[in-house]
Amino acid sequence: MRRWLNDLDRILRGEATRLAALREESIEVPLGGLLLVIFLLAMLYGVCMGFFAGFRVGGPFCMQWFASTVKVPSLFLLTLVVTFPSLYVFNALVGSRLNLLAVLQLLVASLAVNVAVLASLGPIVAFFSVSTLSYPFAVLMNVTVFAISGFLGLAFLLQTLHRLSVARRLPPPPSPTAAAEPEKPTEAIAPQQEPEPWAPSGKEPSGEPSALDALEGHMLDRHVKTVFLSWMVIFGLVGAQMAWVLRPFIGNPGEPFQWFRARQSNFFEAVWQSLRGLFW
Amino acid sequence: MSGLLVQIDDILRRRGPLLLHPTRSALLRLILCVVAFGTFYGAIMGGFGGIQGERLWQIFNSALKVPLLLLGTSLIAWPSFFVLNTLVGLRRDFARATTALMAAQAGLAVVLASLAPLTVVWYASSADYAAALRFNGLMFAIASFAGQGLLRGHYRLLIQRNSKHRWMLGTWLVIYIFVGIQMAWILRPFVGDPGAPIEFFRRESWGNAYVVVARLIYDAVRR
Repeated sequence: MRRWLNDLDRILRGEATRLAALREESIEVPLGGLLLVIFLLAMLYGVCMGFFAGFRVGGPFCMQWFASTVKVPSLFLLTLVVTFPSLYVFNALVGSRLNLLAVLQLLVASLAVNVAVLASLGPIVAFFSVSTLSYPFAVLMNVTVFAISGFLGLAFLLQTLHRLSVARRLPPPPSPTAAAEPEKPTEAIAPQQEPEPWAPSGKEPSGEPSALDALEGHMLDRHVKTVFLSWMVIFGLVGAQMAWVLRPFIGNPGEPFQWFRARQSNFFEAVWQSLRGLFW
Repeated sequence: MSGLLVQIDDILRRRGPLLLHPTRSALLRLILCVVAFGTFYGAIMGGFGGIQGERLWQIFNSALKVPLLLLGTSLIAWPSFFVLNTLVGLRRDFARATTALMAAQAGLAVVLASLAPLTVVWYASSADYAAALRFNGLMFAIASFAGQGLLRGHYRLLIQRNSKHRWMLGTWLVIYIFVGIQMAWILRPFVGDPGAPIEFFRRESWGNAYVVVARLIYDAVRR
């Protein structure tokens, strides 16, 4: 378990997506372990989300709390399963060189970043859910949190896609013991692997790019942009509608508990109706 | 005792040693500073209704609440700060960033405690509850300004090293203020209306600080 958390840590720090690490056109991540970590972190967020139902005025609504805990990981994993075939096929059609395993690794790594940010915002959501009586506020807050973590997950996806295409074009290293990184030919070869002693003043010597940094001097490929945009659209649409299908997550205090509400309308129509309700 | 005074001096004058060698014990000492000085100010704050009989409970409650407000808010905001710092590549500086944040909080608590005698004089001069609330609000505001300045000072070294720290500092402030306002709302009462019973929470008027303010604004605009 600790090993898998370390792997998640490597992804967040950007070590798993360094250019040198992406040479084999795949990201070295243990799929099974990472999926388990994603599941657990999403469950943790579900618990935080469920505090609203757990601390209701009329007494704890344990079934809704349990339902939230189970639904958040299901949302992510089901969306991944539903969209993976089309994402891979579209990726291949556009001419990307990523194979099936590489696409899966890339998606799972992005999902891991998404869920890590989500879980870290959990305490804030839990705190507000305990202390607020307003259902619209709880909904709005959760939507905002999902949006922020989704945005960061997508940024990671875009940068990694870009780096994968750049790494493919790099010349192979001259020997396995080479110390220089080819993408930074001007940087001096570090004689030791220890971090530099902390200087009280002056800029930090430029280190490796983080997980979300854009690479300097490399423009985004046209096909990388196409792949990213299409993935964002497919994943976003399916994810939003899946969230609607799996509702309720928070549980309107005025309505009785149900595992799933009756099939009616869809996410986008509901958003449209809410907007109309706000202004008309 | 002199060691403690030297430490407080370091915090207030934004001297370097804290950040150059951030150790776990240094962090612990900063947290203890927040607890000690926050408790002191809280006890003074709760003494509005007097120190006779039952009112001692209000003093006790308020003494608990001030450090709870400061440290509780930090604790809730800390995990997201950690993940965001990691994602933008500032993980190596994270221990120092946390120490800088805690040093600013300790400084805030010290400033607050130094304003406690003024609060005592105010309480001795006026029995008006609303005025007492406003005065305490003013004391917290002064301490917060001082804390802001301290935070910028302690963070300057980090920002010099990597300008992304400025973004992280801004993000921390947004999250901290967002959570802190709600925390202050639900931890009421701090001063304690002498006419009302003594409770730890005013449970029936819990709810959301932001919803309450929005409703107030909406009502004011509609009128």
